[in-house]
Amino acid sequence: MALLPCGIHFESYRKDMAYLHTRLQWVFLIAFLALLFGLPFLVSVRFISIINIMTMICIAVVGLQITIGYAGQTNLGQSAFMGMGAFVTGSLAINFQLPFWVTIPAGGVSAAIFGSIFGIPALRIKGFYLAITTIAAQIMFPLFIIHMPDRVFGGSLGLKMEPARLWGIVFNTDRSLYYLIMTTGVIMIFFSFNLVRSRVGRAFIAVRDNDLAAEIMGINVFYYKALGFFIGALYAGVAGGLWAYYIRYIGADQFTLYYSVWFVGMVIVGGLGSILGAILGTIFIRSIQEIISYLGPFLVKFLPHVAGEEVWFAGMNILLGGVIILFLILDPRGLYHRWVLLKTSYRIWPFPYV
Amino acid sequence: MDELLTNLLQYTIDGTLRGMLYAVIALAFIIIYRAGRILNFAQGEVVIFGGYIIWTFFSWKIFPFWIALAFSFALAVFLGLLIERIIFRPLIGQPIWAIVMVTIGLMILLQGITLVIWGGSERPFPVVFPRAPVKLGKLTFTGVIFWGGMISIFIIFVLSWLFEKTRWGLKLTAVAEDHQVAQSMGISVRKSIAIAWVFGCVLSSFSAIVFLNGQTLTVGASMIGLQALPVVLLAGLESIWGAPLAGIMVGVGESLAAAYLDPHTGGAMSEAFPYIIMLVSLLIRPQGLFGWKIIERI
Repeated sequence: MALLPCGIHFESYRKDMAYLHTRLQWVFLIAFLALLFGLPFLVSVRFISIINIMTMICIAVVGLQITIGYAGQTNLGQSAFMGMGAFVTGSLAINFQLPFWVTIPAGGVSAAIFGSIFGIPALRIKGFYLAITTIAAQIMFPLFIIHMPDRVFGGSLGLKMEPARLWGIVFNTDRSLYYLIMTTGVIMIFFSFNLVRSRVGRAFIAVRDNDLAAEIMGINVFYYKALGFFIGALYAGVAGGLWAYYIRYIGADQFTLYYSVWFVGMVIVGGLGSILGAILGTIFIRSIQEIISYLGPFLVKFLPHVAGEEVWFAGMNILLGGVIILFLILDPRGLYHRWVLLKTSYRIWPFPYV
Repeated sequence: MDELLTNLLQYTIDGTLRGMLYAVIALAFIIIYRAGRILNFAQGEVVIFGGYIIWTFFSWKIFPFWIALAFSFALAVFLGLLIERIIFRPLIGQPIWAIVMVTIGLMILLQGITLVIWGGSERPFPVVFPRAPVKLGKLTFTGVIFWGGMISIFIIFVLSWLFEKTRWGLKLTAVAEDHQVAQSMGISVRKSIAIAWVFGCVLSSFSAIVFLNGQTLTVGASMIGLQALPVVLLAGLESIWGAPLAGIMVGVGESLAAAYLDPHTGGAMSEAFPYIIMLVSLLIRPQGLFGWKIIERI
């Protein structure tokens, strides 16, 4: 917790738990939201498409943060859960012509159910073993998708989607999709900020810190572990539903273990146990990824063995692996901790020590 | 009827051989856990890295066979020490998830480094074990599995003797139980993790030979690390003897599923089968078949 601005004090628990304490903070929040919604008019389409992808991934990573950082359950299957959401959304939209405001929540809920099935072993197994059972989810997911009848999930060809429509608006450009994605993103993140300070959030933290002690205190550990997976996968499913409407072509190969590892990397870089950390981690890693794709053609000249696509892959791998290892060794509390330090040192300026 | 029985026997033998391959890879995994309490997700990548090192020494063609092999194993030892020094020494005393995550980071990093050093093209892996099939009575084994299996059974004997009978091995076992307690009893956790990685990398190079003998070597072959995971969990992370037993169970199960269930499910069953066995067995016995039962206290 960062220091508060000078002269702020609380007389009730309610005020103490508030995220926004001063009028200035409200002004900044509203200005920030206004900026977000005006952004498509200010910057280029390429930048908007980067932000779109970033926001969708951010939703999935915030969900992962709830599962790993709050409920304390290792999850290496977030990308499979996202894929489940995408395929159910796509399947409902294609086979039943349902509108997106039905299919995306339905995709989210089905991903959540899929996720909690793999969360159930969490009652009996922990740590290492749990990480591997979620990898099992990741490996069984494409088999499940490909071997279902073709009209359900499109088999090995994948699904081709129609763009989302609402009252005559067709969401088929980056700018129009931006509003769909950003609105969903803001709602989901608002919900997550409030979830983690509710009774459920406190129960998650108790289970994370010591599940035996939590059980003795009367918390239903099994329920909350499964709920941690349920909510995390719900976020992934919603992100997947948006992904289906954004990419409009979904295949099982878009949701591999590789992406799950990226998501976990974003949570680690951002800092475990903080929603803001998940957002910062996503922005940080996605930005570096964009820079590497941009620099790809230059890197080819320095790496004679590697050709074309592989340079991107190799560069990304070294970056991701390096970033995860460096953050774990040097700053396990992640970018969120840096942000708190920065804020605190701003507030106590001109005194030098935090 | 007779044909059915012969087929069944053939599938079982095929599965057993494939299971031995899983067991060899699982063994390296279990040793790293058994001496350092590190669950190594990068196992497949370490195997492939070792494979590329062997390929490099053999492809120069300036060293005689045994010297090239010796150099490869020496480099594997060096790799193990390097990994310990750079990554795991700063992480001693960190929580479990940090160590799990760092091996995932290592997995991705090694993939990238392998690609940068050797590129993505396919390489022919040298023939180390004789390829001629070995006949024992009526049964026929492929050469590599037979020799690899024989050597790994020998290795299993030596390792289980080391870990269960010698004072030195018991020290390593203590580290696998709890870093903090081991440290306070005067056992060097640092040294033990270094030993774990040296053993792990050398065994990985050995399993690369068994796995790739005379076949093509690509970066994608590192998937074998994930395929061996169900074997490791079924055996239990701590059990050296469990690896071959669980390996054979998974291998036979997979082979029978491929023969009898795949025609009805379009090929999905044999791929999912090891994971299904693993999930079911973990729900019944969370510590795996032969793993330690840990009693938790607050």
